[in-house]
Amino acid sequence: MLSRPGPRFAIIGLMLLWVIYALMPTVQYRALTDEQKEARRIDGTLELLEHRIINLGLDLQGGIHLVLEVDLPALVRSLADGRDDRLDEVLSQTDAEVAATDAEFFDVFATQAAAANLRLIRYFSSQGTKLPEIIDGLRAEADDAVSRALEIIRNRVDQFGVSEPTIQKSGRRRIIVELAGIKDPEQARKLIQNTALLEFNLLQDISIAQEVMLKLDDVIKVGGGPTEELASAQDTIAGTTVSEDTGLEAVLGAGLDTAAAPQGLAISAAAISANPFTAYVHVHGNDLVVPARYRHAVENLLASPVVRANIPSDGAFLWSARTEQLPVHDGEQNFYQLYYVYREPGLTGGVITKARADIGALGSSSSSQPVVNVSMNNEGAKVWARMTGANVGRRVALVLDKKVHMAPVINSKIPNGATVIEGMDSMEEAKMIAIVLRAGSLPAPVSIVEERSVGPTMGQDSINMGVRAASIGGFLVIVFMLVYYRVSGLIATAALIFNILIVLAALASLRATLTLPGIAGLILTVGMAVDANVLIFERIREELEKGKSVRAAIDSGYARATVTIVDANVTTILAALVLFQFGSGPIKGFAITLFWGIAASMFTAIFMTRTIFMAITQRPKIKTLSI
Amino acid sequence: MRLLAHTNIDFLGKRKIAGILSFSMILMGLVSLVLKGGPLLGIDFTGGTLAQLQFAVPTNVAEIRLVLLENGFSRPTIQRFGSDNEMLIRMPAEETVQFSDRLKSALTDYEFTIRRLETVGPKIGEELKGKALWSVFYALLGILLYITIRFDRYYALGAVAALAHDVLITLGIFSLLNLEIDLAILAAFLTIVGYSLNDTIVVFDRIRENAKTQRRAEFYATVNRSINQTLGRTVITSLTTLMVVTTLFLIGGEVIKYFAFAMIVGVIVGTYSSIYVASPLMAALESRAQERSGK
Repeated sequence: MLSRPGPRFAIIGLMLLWVIYALMPTVQYRALTDEQKEARRIDGTLELLEHRIINLGLDLQGGIHLVLEVDLPALVRSLADGRDDRLDEVLSQTDAEVAATDAEFFDVFATQAAAANLRLIRYFSSQGTKLPEIIDGLRAEADDAVSRALEIIRNRVDQFGVSEPTIQKSGRRRIIVELAGIKDPEQARKLIQNTALLEFNLLQDISIAQEVMLKLDDVIKVGGGPTEELASAQDTIAGTTVSEDTGLEAVLGAGLDTAAAPQGLAISAAAISANPFTAYVHVHGNDLVVPARYRHAVENLLASPVVRANIPSDGAFLWSARTEQLPVHDGEQNFYQLYYVYREPGLTGGVITKARADIGALGSSSSSQPVVNVSMNNEGAKVWARMTGANVGRRVALVLDKKVHMAPVINSKIPNGATVIEGMDSMEEAKMIAIVLRAGSLPAPVSIVEERSVGPTMGQDSINMGVRAASIGGFLVIVFMLVYYRVSGLIATAALIFNILIVLAALASLRATLTLPGIAGLILTVGMAVDANVLIFERIREELEKGKSVRAAIDSGYARATVTIVDANVTTILAALVLFQFGSGPIKGFAITLFWGIAASMFTAIFMTRTIFMAITQRPKIKTLSI
Repeated sequence: MRLLAHTNIDFLGKRKIAGILSFSMILMGLVSLVLKGGPLLGIDFTGGTLAQLQFAVPTNVAEIRLVLLENGFSRPTIQRFGSDNEMLIRMPAEETVQFSDRLKSALTDYEFTIRRLETVGPKIGEELKGKALWSVFYALLGILLYITIRFDRYYALGAVAALAHDVLITLGIFSLLNLEIDLAILAAFLTIVGYSLNDTIVVFDRIRENAKTQRRAEFYATVNRSINQTLGRTVITSLTTLMVVTTLFLIGGEVIKYFAFAMIVGVIVGTYSSIYVASPLMAALESRAQERSGK
């Protein structure tokens, strides 16, 4: 089938369609002005687009890459009942040995303590009575410190102001944070290292929340606020994404699963100008919820001076830390909860001494359900008893760094601090809540062991220089190929351009990242992709010299050169794979473009150019080849 | 247009001269490496801090060095970076604590921005060094295996000897010119390995093809003929690759400059080595093996 050009052109056409499909969003995105981006962000469609564009690495758009590691000696010191010079000495010796030998910290700590005749029970009686117990306990504490730090950083994600932050655990004791496109790396670093604040705020009654929001509707309409621009921004993009004619009246009180909920819950400009605030907010059971895509719009409203001035001084709106999937009439959608709480917290998290996920005790209301058991110090327990006693039946929000993680109902007065939190869907969720509660009371000693930050102007400079170098380098190569191989050179040029497009399309589809070394890899690909064509063309010339016909020369030229090309490229691909495996961010970017560049060059140089030659030589009269 | 068609150069006849040239190049680099106590490693491998500062007005490097020393920074290495306004400051690992805050308070009299800041803890540096050595090892091992399977072990030895030759010479040149080896340069080295091998395999492939139709006694002639037949391609590809890496070196910006420089050296040395190192060595090993099995 592939011996005729027709089906082969069909394959090339499909590839071309895929390339266009994969690269369209990037082209679209690049064409947007800052105002258009902002309008799309409010409308909630920017994120969808951002998911499909070529990711730029930190070195190209500016940003910060941090590796955090739990400071184990500091952690052990903070867990010790008392500290003295002997413990400090053992710890510093342990630290030195770990640095030199790469052994596991707590194994070394145990042997060092034994060698120094230091009885660990004196310091860590709360962990156990035997040495292995103590060591295991400390190790678990170290793991927990990583979880807490991870949770604290995740909880602050939106404060970094970047669309797609990477926050992940690496190995057992490290956390990698990557914030691309961040404006102020220094501020981000501080935000990551700040101690977390846990607070317990009582929720205000939902009827009060509704009154406040209706009042906000009025003041925004009268006071102008950002509504005017919002409504017009909605109008300008309505044609593309928000359908105007859904006739929505998503007024407060309308339930989600009623027919009033419009398709996909897109909110029309008409609804927004009628109820500039409440149009975004729905009531679900006892909660106020906002579709995730409109969170940014509501945040903008809450930040505007006219709204800030009209929220009662004792109240505050807080967001839930996570989204929740709720049924709407045509499926499910993600929602954030919006809580209206008393501004002053009733209690802060420093008082918590223990928080553990567990299975509810038999016979209790939460029998064999996941729960979190919390203990508090005396001081905290007193305040908590007063607070819970006076507010039985109301809800209290667990707030970490201004994000609500849960808002359980107070069932009864809790006299001694021993609190059981119920209502978690799974053990995982219970563990998460326990981590959040501990995060506010136990500092997680983490230190930055690696940092790479690039300012935004530097990134733009790099892009400009990289693109310029790529264009000039590519231009030189193309000119050379045209002069040296004439018409065949033109075919090779087409293959070369297609090659670059395929690499970029692959980057966009795989959500891979383009870095500065990545651009270098692309440029190098240009140089090396030509190689495949040079090999073929030189071979065809040789065959022609032997007196073969044009078609026979092309056939045997391709056949013989293909073996060489595959053999020669496999080794470069090997090098690229090793680089990918080993490298960090920028180097990985280089390996990816090199890999795809070579893979694509085999397609373009062997398959695509061959097809064009086939089409040309199909005409029976052809006697000479411009090569 | 056609360059280098129908050449008939006796490449293998010049293998002694080539050998002397290669040896002296490698020796020169090794002497430099030994005298300087190993390659000059960047902060990626040693740990430390690197900051790229951009000043509002052209600023004197010596002046900044003095100010930093007066403010308690020990052993700062400062160099100009591209324009007159920019400089690169390197600090050893023990100076990295609160680096940017200290830098700002030390240089309050100047208007500047930190455009790039890289801090690598000493432990991470050690780990990266280990990973780097392993990656080079795995790459070479993979290549050795692949060529042994596709050709035979004499071809593989010839190819790997050429690779070692290329990397040693590039490393030596970096040492002679006091250029730093960081992660990007390591990536360049691995790319050189891939590129040089690409070149070598094209020649080997032709030798294998020609050897099928050739009598054994003429193995040297076959090798020579194969190198001549592929010479046009070898030169053209090196030329196009050199075009792009030279463009990158000249206008790709400071960050990528030394990566491009390593590639330039690598492409030249790699092209030379596939003709004068890999092929003669392989031919010598192969014909000795053939003589033995012939007897």
